[in-house]
Amino acid sequence: MALPLRYNFRNVIVRWRTTVFTVLGVAAVVGVFVLLRALARGIESTSGNTGDPRNILVVRKGSQAESGSLVTREQYRTLQYFDEIARNERGEAVVSAELVMIVSAPRRAGAGEANTLIRGITPRGMELRPQVALVEGRWFHPGRREVVVSRRLSNRFEGFEPGGTIKAGPARLTVVGVFDGQGSAFDSEAWMDADEARALFDREQYSSLLLRPKDPDAAQAIMARLEQDKRLALRAEPETEYYSKQTMTAMPFKVLGGILGVAMSVGAVFAAMNTMYASVAARTREVGTLRVLGYSRGAVVLSFMIEGTLVAVMGGVLGCGLALLLNLYVQVRGVYFGTMDFQSFAETVFQFRVTPDLVGLGLLFSAIIGVVGSFLPALRAARLPVIAALKSV
Amino acid sequence: MSGMDPGGGGILGRSFHGLFRLAGFALSLLNPVTWLGELARAWVRWFGLGPFSFVLVNAMRNRRRATLTVLSVASSCGLLVTLLTLQRELTVPPESEGASLRIIARNKVSLAQPLPAKQLSAVEKIPGVVAVSPFTFFGGNFRDEQMTSFAQFAVEPARFRELLVEGRVSDGSYEEFIKDRNSCFVGADTMKRYDLKIGDKMRFTGTFYPVDLDLKIAAVFKGTVDDRGVFFHHKLLDELTGDPGTVGTWYIRVASAEVANDVIARINKAFENSSAEVRAETERAFQMGFISMLGNVKVLTLSISAVVVFTLMLVTVSTMSMAIRERFRELAILKALGFQRRELFAFILAESFGLSALGAFLGIGGAWLLWTYADLQKWTGGMILYFEVTPRIVATGSVVAAILGIVAAIGPSVAVARTSVVNGLRTLD
Repeated sequence: MALPLRYNFRNVIVRWRTTVFTVLGVAAVVGVFVLLRALARGIESTSGNTGDPRNILVVRKGSQAESGSLVTREQYRTLQYFDEIARNERGEAVVSAELVMIVSAPRRAGAGEANTLIRGITPRGMELRPQVALVEGRWFHPGRREVVVSRRLSNRFEGFEPGGTIKAGPARLTVVGVFDGQGSAFDSEAWMDADEARALFDREQYSSLLLRPKDPDAAQAIMARLEQDKRLALRAEPETEYYSKQTMTAMPFKVLGGILGVAMSVGAVFAAMNTMYASVAARTREVGTLRVLGYSRGAVVLSFMIEGTLVAVMGGVLGCGLALLLNLYVQVRGVYFGTMDFQSFAETVFQFRVTPDLVGLGLLFSAIIGVVGSFLPALRAARLPVIAALKSV
Repeated sequence: MSGMDPGGGGILGRSFHGLFRLAGFALSLLNPVTWLGELARAWVRWFGLGPFSFVLVNAMRNRRRATLTVLSVASSCGLLVTLLTLQRELTVPPESEGASLRIIARNKVSLAQPLPAKQLSAVEKIPGVVAVSPFTFFGGNFRDEQMTSFAQFAVEPARFRELLVEGRVSDGSYEEFIKDRNSCFVGADTMKRYDLKIGDKMRFTGTFYPVDLDLKIAAVFKGTVDDRGVFFHHKLLDELTGDPGTVGTWYIRVASAEVANDVIARINKAFENSSAEVRAETERAFQMGFISMLGNVKVLTLSISAVVVFTLMLVTVSTMSMAIRERFRELAILKALGFQRRELFAFILAESFGLSALGAFLGIGGAWLLWTYADLQKWTGGMILYFEVTPRIVATGSVVAAILGIVAAIGPSVAVARTSVVNGLRTLD
């Protein structure tokens, strides 16, 4: 027969002082674990949220990202005549030749400089990205040194506000509008006219091509055709797939989350064990009484383990709760984090995201701490000799 | 009650029990707390009970708890030291004597934008400049690696020699490197990691440049802060890329650290209002710029870590106080026997301080041993280079542990001081 759960609840409450400390310890461990994973999740969700599934992105064979890719004007011209590519109402092939540039800019509030990504695009490029919408000002005029920046960059860098000036070496770019990329990777970009960008940065070549095939079959055909064409030496893949792979930046956070999680939980387990041992020692007589009443060793072990796990899970709930609160605060106040993207070498701006599965993982983690931390103390309680236990003070 | 089990579980249970005890005994031999406990007992046997042995015997009476407390202090201290080291690794680039003499000049737009090669003669003419070489990051992948952790730079070998202030050629000949356009100059760490020798070929696939390199190792260097890099002829890169007439950055050596700022100002001014404006800075400032690009995530991560360490410490304090609270009755008896408050405080303080010190010794020492002797460069694929636990970090950890020991003693001491003997004797828990 198992001991009633109420017995554990009341014990936890009566010994509230030690309970509070253990709960706090576990809460910190779980909270940090969840937050670090949430940072990684934020970066990943930005990548996963970018692109149109109908689009195909073309880069140089051998390059890992757009920033290291070169596409010549001849290649651009050749591709424009591919039959597989969709045409718009004016009969133009829906292909955008784009240039990705890095411009170093000062952060607001004097927090040093960081690289920002400036993308030169053609009018087709905007049609290909319905995800991106203008929220303030107007789009740039082709042929002028004008730039439209994302809301996030606009808030983050000096001179990126509407009407502001971005300095790129001796050149000056005027900010004429602000766009919103709805949580995609474009939210860390600024857009301008592709040919103007080529002139400004003295580039003969483009970085990449973004195109829309007529239908899914045509998409397969284009990818196969470019794969086989050794002369062009280009690589094509669905735009969404390209971006979903750009998650390397999330790795350090994942690794750190894992290492810190394990290291901290070791400390938390010791603390939980100590608390439970003390709890067992203080209740020696109680345990003896329970045994005399006929509760089995198994029931005593189970009861103490439930109690330990209960305390740890309370900590887990608190930790996850705090993480969720912070998440809410970040969402409401619009707080963003920035770090250097390892592939583009430009600053990527993101929010952390505490998702339900992370909360579940955090709670599971706390339960494991509880089970591991209370196992040995519970065994000790069960092995107390009954008569001696009854006699103890 | 069918679940009753008076015998304590059949043969299996008993042999399990025996094994369990044996394992426990074996473990206890490894436990420093056990050693101290035995020492305390021996001390009492030989010298009788003095204040020192009284504290020691008391602390070691509940060895399980003493062990757990020491272990939780040890794990918090170990974690603290590890985090401080990580922070240092992320924010303080390794210093080198030559760094103050070297300047890196890049395009003002960003590092990704090249500079015209024709700037060389203008840079050379600037007073205070002793040597200058093109310095272009190639960013290739070695063999079939997905992300190579050591960098490759295109340089002009004859000029680059002047810039290598603290390094020396440990194998092969630099003359050979200068002579052979297809050769390279490789760091000793990279040679060791891939088990390479002079004359071996190194193949790199370009990620930023649409060209691949096939280099023969001509010489090896050692003694710089980062003995991993691979240097090759800028002429080879120019040849492969169709001679675009550009370089990545200029790497400059100045006559002395005093003139560095002056030289930087002159270089920046020399190319003002040209098509390629230049941003020159010392090698150290350049490295710090890279660190600044990591963004506020670093601050976030570290503040989270600080919270954690603080909380773990709090939990440890609570467990230590618990140990003393349990002996409330005994302390009351001591009080009844005529011990004064400050003597009682000394007993409590000595015990909590001692446990904390032992934990700190194990935790900090363990972390130091681990991070000093573990081959982190190999484990992390070259991501982490030094991870040096400095004396300063050890000192910080020790101070935190000492504060921990003192803070843990305060609560119980105040309680003991305040309670009357009668109340103390009545306390049960």
